[in-house]
Amino acid sequence: MNRTARTLLALTIAALVALGSAQTEINVISFAQGFAFPDLLSEGGTKKSERLLAFEAANGIVVNLEWGDESAVRQKVLNDLIAGTGRYDVILLGTDGAVQTFGYAGYLEPLNAYLESGDYDAWFDLEDIYPSVLEANTVEGNVYGMSYYAFGPGMIYRKDIFDRYGASVPTTMVEFEQAMATIKAGLAADGIRDVYPLTMRAGPGEEPSLDLTGFVYAYAGYPAWFEGGADTVEKIRATKAQPDFTGAFRDGFEAFVRLAREYGPPGIATHTWVDMMNLYSQGKAVVLFPSAINGYAAITSTELQEVVDGSAFAAAPVGPSGEAIQSFWSFSFGINAASRNKDDAMKVLALLTGREALQAFADMTVWPSAPYSSVMRSTTLIERYGEEEVLLNERAMLDSDTHYFPYIPELADFMFQIGTAASQAVSTGDVDRALEELQRWAVQTMTAAGYYRD
Amino acid sequence: MRRLGLLLRFPGAFLAPAILVLASIVLFPTGYLLYLSVRHWVITRPFQYFSGLDNYRLVLTSPSFWGAAQTTLVFIVATVAVTLVLGTALAVALNRPFAGRGVVRALVVLPLLVPPIVAGFTWRFLLNREIGMLGSWILPAVGVEASMLAHPDLAMVSIVIADVWSRTSFMFLILLAALQGIPGSLYEAARIDGASDAQEFVFITLPLLLPAMLVGVIFRAIEAVNTFDLIFVMTQGGPGTATQTLSIYGWRTAFTSFDIGRGAAIAVVMVVFAVLATTVLSRRVLER
Repeated sequence: MNRTARTLLALTIAALVALGSAQTEINVISFAQGFAFPDLLSEGGTKKSERLLAFEAANGIVVNLEWGDESAVRQKVLNDLIAGTGRYDVILLGTDGAVQTFGYAGYLEPLNAYLESGDYDAWFDLEDIYPSVLEANTVEGNVYGMSYYAFGPGMIYRKDIFDRYGASVPTTMVEFEQAMATIKAGLAADGIRDVYPLTMRAGPGEEPSLDLTGFVYAYAGYPAWFEGGADTVEKIRATKAQPDFTGAFRDGFEAFVRLAREYGPPGIATHTWVDMMNLYSQGKAVVLFPSAINGYAAITSTELQEVVDGSAFAAAPVGPSGEAIQSFWSFSFGINAASRNKDDAMKVLALLTGREALQAFADMTVWPSAPYSSVMRSTTLIERYGEEEVLLNERAMLDSDTHYFPYIPELADFMFQIGTAASQAVSTGDVDRALEELQRWAVQTMTAAGYYRD
Repeated sequence: MRRLGLLLRFPGAFLAPAILVLASIVLFPTGYLLYLSVRHWVITRPFQYFSGLDNYRLVLTSPSFWGAAQTTLVFIVATVAVTLVLGTALAVALNRPFAGRGVVRALVVLPLLVPPIVAGFTWRFLLNREIGMLGSWILPAVGVEASMLAHPDLAMVSIVIADVWSRTSFMFLILLAALQGIPGSLYEAARIDGASDAQEFVFITLPLLLPAMLVGVIFRAIEAVNTFDLIFVMTQGGPGTATQTLSIYGWRTAFTSFDIGRGAAIAVVMVVFAVLATTVLSRRVLER
């Protein structure tokens, strides 16, 4: 090879390397493989679609999507955040602790500047996104996450079984308990032992807290975790509000435990959303409550036609305070503050959670869980459920008070401990002991965190 | 040649590469764990600082820690005792010649090949009270109406059953190997003297099997202390904290309470307990 040829070869290699390095790699981590992002990935979440490839070519970005089991993903995110390595640029966040805990700790990049710049107006129409969804992703004025799907509270129930036993659709918790008693008696009279009046989740960990604290809110009329209903760092510090788990918190907690024990399946103290969904889809539960989205997942995956035909949606009943039972969650994505390519990460975030992606998700799942009003009211969902049911779901989203639990840095830990206390109480029936232990732990935690120092 | 000569004068130098590798993969993480255990590091709070033995004080005065320690002890004693009894019975039974012995041995060893996480999922579904074959059909038919996994006492029984199923074959293999090392002449002599099967077992098999049993118990106990995946997928430490062992408690402290320092202190305390227990048992083996 002569000198000219060698020079040409070297230049070609250099150009190729330069071309390669011109592309930024954005790493995304998520769960729900083969289920989320149907417009971007096919073949079980492994093959990039034309839309994704076109996006990558237009922006000089390579999107690497890493999938995993939900709890594994949560741990990987946590490890990456505390190590500060910025391995993942776009990360999965839940609004039941991750947004708040990581937001307060400074691990997440605020999105406000991006959203206000106007550069992303084509992706996000903030007027179209339900205010509750944005609120749930906001901590002290900073928006940390954009929602992929979200849900408000409600009740998925077997209308055919309600009709068979003459039970009325409840609008209050008193009526709810009456309906449960009627159905339980009816099932027993018919000798049906493997169908349960109610399915909820009461497994140890953070999951039940999303629903249980919604009970507490509806029974007390406010998030009754701390004295006087203090629900922010400032209010707790200002009033030195002590945890109130053996006080105003008790009524809602006790109601949740009583319903679970009285009308739920025997294994309810270990159940997660997957168990709720499976029981309902197998026709073994009459009511799925209050995270109705899991009921929609059941209806759209069941092979039993009577479950599809016999199911209906109703708004969540109100508690003694006049407030409705709450259950709100958003599956969101945010940007790692340690990411070295935040601007490109924002472009990918827009691709993942922009209106077009959410419409594709709604078209595939047929779940009324869209954070956008226009997607919620789209033809796919109206044709499947009818306008009335879709609007009821929209109302559940609009009426949600996403601050039905306090927004504090320790939220994720509290959610975990409250859920575990619920599991214990449902399993043993000893509400007082579970709440006393929870109260002791909470006082210790808040004191150690310095909330009561002068 | 001169260098080789030098090395031969200091034969320990040949160990240097292995020591370096060991130091990097064992000593560094251990050292880092110790370092973390004396730091105040809660990720929801802004500052990290040296906190001396504060994490250890908090851990050792926490009712949750002692609750988890008690649960761990119950789990270890139950699972090690049952695997020891079953492993011994299987080893003795399958040490005797009979048609199809190889196949039966292979079947007994099979659970060892199943990863604990898969075993945990399998048992979770089997014992599920609403849809599981055991939990919803067979157990109710024999009068067990409660949910095995949701009952605070039966949940512990459930994880012990799953662990025993998964790990008895390990004990079986150790004891079978030891049994095959016992000279047949001892049994022949005993039979000539008119010893019964039970006497052969008590006076020959058991004493000669004891060192192998102690080794098996040490390995199984260490394994039981560290069991995480099987318990996590079956019960997540619940219902409530009924099956929350120290490994689950340590994980929760670090990953859900975000208290990295205290999580590290729990891990160090677990290591200390394990080393102490192992040392006591090992000395017994050596004394024999």
